[in-house]
Amino acid sequence: MKIVCSQDQLLAKLQIAARGVSQRSTVQILSGILLNASGERIELSSTDMEISLRVPLEARVEEPGDVVLPGRLLLDIVRALPAADVTIAQPGGTGAAQIECGPSRYSLNTQNAEDFPQLPVPSGSSFSVDRAAFVDTVSHVGRAASKDESRPVLTGVLVELGEGTVTMAATDSYRLSVKESALPGATGDVQAIVPARALGEVVRISTGDSLEVSVQENQVLFGMDGVWLSARRIDGQFPNYKQLLPQTFEHEIAISKEELLDVIRRTSLMAQRNLPVRLSFEEGSLTLAAQTQDVGEARESLPVDFHGDRLEIGFNPDFLRDGVESVEGDTVRLKLISSLRPGLLQGEDGSFWYLIMPIRLPS
Amino acid sequence: MFVPDGANILHADLDAFFASVEQRDDPRLRGRPVIVGGGVVLAASYEAKARGVRTAMGGGRARMLCPDAIVVPPRMSAYSEASKAVYGVFGDMAPVVEGLSIDEAFLDVRGLEHITGTPAEIAVRLKREVLERVGLPITVGVARTKFLAKVASGVAKPDGLLVVPPEAELAFLHPLPIERLWGVGPATSAKLHLLGVATVRQVAELPEADLVSMLGRGVGRQLHALAHNRDPRRVRPRSRRRSIGAQHAMGRRPKSWHQIEVSLAALVERVTRRMRAAGRAGRTVVLRLRFDDFARVTRSHTMPYPTAQTQAILLTARALLATARPMIERRGLTLVGIAVTNLEDGSALQLELPFNRRSRDQLDAALDQVRDRYGSAAVIRAASLGRDQRSPPPLLPD
Repeated sequence: MKIVCSQDQLLAKLQIAARGVSQRSTVQILSGILLNASGERIELSSTDMEISLRVPLEARVEEPGDVVLPGRLLLDIVRALPAADVTIAQPGGTGAAQIECGPSRYSLNTQNAEDFPQLPVPSGSSFSVDRAAFVDTVSHVGRAASKDESRPVLTGVLVELGEGTVTMAATDSYRLSVKESALPGATGDVQAIVPARALGEVVRISTGDSLEVSVQENQVLFGMDGVWLSARRIDGQFPNYKQLLPQTFEHEIAISKEELLDVIRRTSLMAQRNLPVRLSFEEGSLTLAAQTQDVGEARESLPVDFHGDRLEIGFNPDFLRDGVESVEGDTVRLKLISSLRPGLLQGEDGSFWYLIMPIRLPS
Repeated sequence: MFVPDGANILHADLDAFFASVEQRDDPRLRGRPVIVGGGVVLAASYEAKARGVRTAMGGGRARMLCPDAIVVPPRMSAYSEASKAVYGVFGDMAPVVEGLSIDEAFLDVRGLEHITGTPAEIAVRLKREVLERVGLPITVGVARTKFLAKVASGVAKPDGLLVVPPEAELAFLHPLPIERLWGVGPATSAKLHLLGVATVRQVAELPEADLVSMLGRGVGRQLHALAHNRDPRRVRPRSRRRSIGAQHAMGRRPKSWHQIEVSLAALVERVTRRMRAAGRAGRTVVLRLRFDDFARVTRSHTMPYPTAQTQAILLTARALLATARPMIERRGLTLVGIAVTNLEDGSALQLELPFNRRSRDQLDAALDQVRDRYGSAAVIRAASLGRDQRSPPPLLPD
């Protein structure tokens, strides 16, 4: 095998492919990137068995073939090379690969291309959706997904596709984020729990106006300008999120988003080690306070349109900030029932909601 | 101006604690020898102690020494309730309380002379309050150091009060037998007696180097310091325990995967109930395994948020067990244990969304109430039906 490719092209494509390289797998082949120059399309592939990437590469093939190269190392090498043509060759199709660029010479140990897992390919029905709307929807909910692997379902985002619409929901069991969007191009009635990480990569990698989506039995594939990302669908029952939304609330308070965010940022500096920030509502004002034992405390008030009996509620400051940041527009509508019931954050319309459970404050 | 410390450390020690609670709650036991615990003696009333019965003595020997003793089974929940009430009194009396165990604590009352009284006055009131509010006799030793306060209460027992004023410390300390020194157990005591050393004064007369060469560096230095009445330790609230756990030895006969899972669930139920009773929540679940060859491994997982919920901890524990399955099937399992660490105060607790209509927390609270009232075996998992339902050994509160 022998190919020649410009350094900037190779680097750009390797940076994408490297995102699928397994970080800590004990299966060595998964730390490699498959360079396939045996067919019509020259391709870089990587997988960690949860997500996989197939990235097209523009290069001149002098001798067809395929080889698995160490992923992170190859990226580091190409990043360090000067802007010139890079030759990757494996003479005779076995043994070490030679990388040449100007006066630089590398010899890299390789692994067998036949040992590399078969990656899913798009098949059956796929459709093209508006990329900006899809990415925007992911950005609203992605942060609420759990990072705790012991409850796999919660590490995913529930994606519900309808005719021209998409609804995504994510929860780590402490907060729940739901966003409904118009999604031109979406068809059918499809539900899938997709790893939040995979959707994050779609946001990061995708460019252009549209996104190909193909939902298969065990995989969901996203096509982005020739790059295919496939994600393993997560098995299991996603919590019935619709029934979590309380029917009525006692209070609805509209607050300037920027102002609230600033106050949260300032006060939460004093809420360390998972401690809550306290929100105290009194007639006409909201006071945020946080304190950490042996460190100190912070307190700041802002005028708000609140009426009725004093209400005090504690939230994880990160969860609260995530929610406020995700709200669209200049105004956050905060709806509350009591200090032990969930609070709801919404923007000006009802297309996004962020339900957040309080921290029970010591009495 | 330098003001030398006065005698302002109290050592408060409940007398024959378990037995006193039994005598308090059953008038027929008062004035009679009472032994708590049928097997090993967990506690003996002073009437039984007078006949030679000692804590940790075998039941047979105790009954031989004291045939008319009334033996009662332990009621741990009554003792822990009484202990909590007594600690409540301690907290009302002193700003700094260092608990040593369920029935004894150090109290630092410095600086209270002009507020609530001198240490001796506080000690008198402490005894009265414990008797009035909890109905139990307690002995208090008052001294300038923790060591002397503890020795004083030991000398004053039962139902006593002894103040060692700073100027009388050596006169009090030196005639005492060496067994009163902290760290002198049967082995050290025997070694010293062989050398003809029987009193604290005689220890004080030995050079430190001799004590170290005889008894080792740690013990030798400590005895030298104590015999010279040097004990700089302050009274400080004890740091709370860092983990809560339980384990189950399973024997060497082969067992099914299902049996292992059932044991794990029972352990998690026990541990989480204790956590909730202590008002603690934890983030890290540690699974302990011991194989047929007695080699041990642990597996742990840290959750994003502390919890004391049975279901949440059970899910994590099961996931850990599943990852260890190949190892267990290959090597056989003789013990499974679970511990929750990274404990935090449960007082500021992140609540969870009610995914199920009734929350898991409500279920836990309801089950705790049933078990507190009717015993651990009153409600069990269906999978545990037909299994040995012996209640776990009684535990003191965490």
